[in-house]
Amino acid sequence: MIRIENLSFSYNKRHQLFDQLSITMPLGNIYGLLGKNGAGKTSLLKLISGLLFPNGGTLDVAGFQPKDRFPQYLREIYLVSEEFHLPSMYLERYVQLYSPFYPRFDYALLQEYLHEFNITGGQKLSEMSYGQKKKFLLSFGLATDCKLLILDEPTNGLDIPSKSQFRKVVANAIHEERSFIISTHQARDMENLIDPVIILDEGEIVFFQNYVQISKKLRVSKQKELPDNDALVYSESSLGGYTVVSENTTREETNMNLEILFNAVVSNKRKIYEIFKSE
Amino acid sequence: MSRYFDISRFWLLLKLEVFRSRKGILMTFVIVFGMLFFIGLLLDIAVDSHKRLYEHTENYIFSLLAGGFVLSSLAFNDLGNSLKRYHYLTLPASTLEKFVCMWLLTSVGWMGLFTLTYFIYALIANPIGELLFAGVAFEPFNPLDDFAVNTMKYYFILHGIFLVGATHFKGYVLPKTLFVLVLFGAAIGTLAYFILKGVFLSDHECLGYECELLDEIVAHRFWMIIKWVFLWVLAPFCWVTAYIGLKEQEA
Repeated sequence: MIRIENLSFSYNKRHQLFDQLSITMPLGNIYGLLGKNGAGKTSLLKLISGLLFPNGGTLDVAGFQPKDRFPQYLREIYLVSEEFHLPSMYLERYVQLYSPFYPRFDYALLQEYLHEFNITGGQKLSEMSYGQKKKFLLSFGLATDCKLLILDEPTNGLDIPSKSQFRKVVANAIHEERSFIISTHQARDMENLIDPVIILDEGEIVFFQNYVQISKKLRVSKQKELPDNDALVYSESSLGGYTVVSENTTREETNMNLEILFNAVVSNKRKIYEIFKSE
Repeated sequence: MSRYFDISRFWLLLKLEVFRSRKGILMTFVIVFGMLFFIGLLLDIAVDSHKRLYEHTENYIFSLLAGGFVLSSLAFNDLGNSLKRYHYLTLPASTLEKFVCMWLLTSVGWMGLFTLTYFIYALIANPIGELLFAGVAFEPFNPLDDFAVNTMKYYFILHGIFLVGATHFKGYVLPKTLFVLVLFGAAIGTLAYFILKGVFLSDHECLGYECELLDEIVAHRFWMIIKWVFLWVLAPFCWVTAYIGLKEQEA
């Protein structure tokens, strides 16, 4: 559904953010987009949303070029950015005015999501807390039944119960005809939700794998001593020893958490590339 | 459904924009008509003891133009705020629909609503004025008079300039647009002086409204071109430029 080929983009002439970036993202997945600050995550999301225009290459989403911002495209994407503005109006009025722009908008689903997030009607959007506003936008975006829901740091500002509600709601809302892209720093909040994982570093996609492949190729273990072998990818000290990421030569599946995976990828891109190169 | 213009989608957008700007419009009307009544009418007559006839002409011209230019400068207000900008640019309506919506509201919408309100205002203000100032006659306001129609015509031509400002400047649209207008006016004025130098430096007589110099300038080819450009080219040029400015917006 999303096809990016040799995409180049820069904010100014001196610094090229994306150069020859290529990726294809089929429908039906919850993509997790991870990266350090300034890696280009938000810029990539803006390019996909049509909020930024590429300097070169191909960017095709559901048969549209996002930069054209045709209504037929815009109604198939919904962006919940990290910082956002909601107009000063009642929740019901917002839904009444904005939902007709989305032809498959489902009011019953919206009510369900709002109920799940404990958001009651009769409230002015501008008077809601940041977390409530975010939950409302998430609910609205999910209820549009758009093909691509883009969430930039969706769990920022959510309290602990809301984070688990978020995971539950998002996991239930995915189907074969739609995709979600979730960009986040809060890797732990996305555990067991995102699949595949995309890691962006210095404007390059350095990792794009699903969990089956990750479990097959990498293993994580706790060890008292640092192993000294070629299979070692990454290690970090932890209570009573080391958490070690290494090439999975045993085919035994381990519980790889996103934070460790991210650290392993960005600290040893070359090794990761070699491991995943061989299918 | 068209990618560029769909009437049902346009209607949704129009309803949305009217609802969103309802408080701003109401406040503009309260301020404008409050000032017109207390300053433009009561204070004006109170300080001018010789006034025997009160006409609405000047107040109507000034308030229609000034109010409309302020409104047009605020037309794409969301683009000036990075957070509102996301919301506005990703709203599923075409750029043409977004442009036409604001064009319609700030041109025909403003002229129609303002003129109608002014007509009602004059109907109410005139009897109050007659009660307060016995020696002053109050002219009724006729929205179909030549001066009103001409004012609307010039507003219709000029408001496009402020739409261009609204789609090209981020914040402080009105002062920035006025500044550019002054610079542009100075450049055109300088150019006009050099082209019409011969006419300006010739001997001429001016008596009251009759002036040989003005007659000569009006008959000059340069002036005719300028007038034609103003009447027929300026407005469409500004609308197209504003549309392109909106289409090229990034966030």
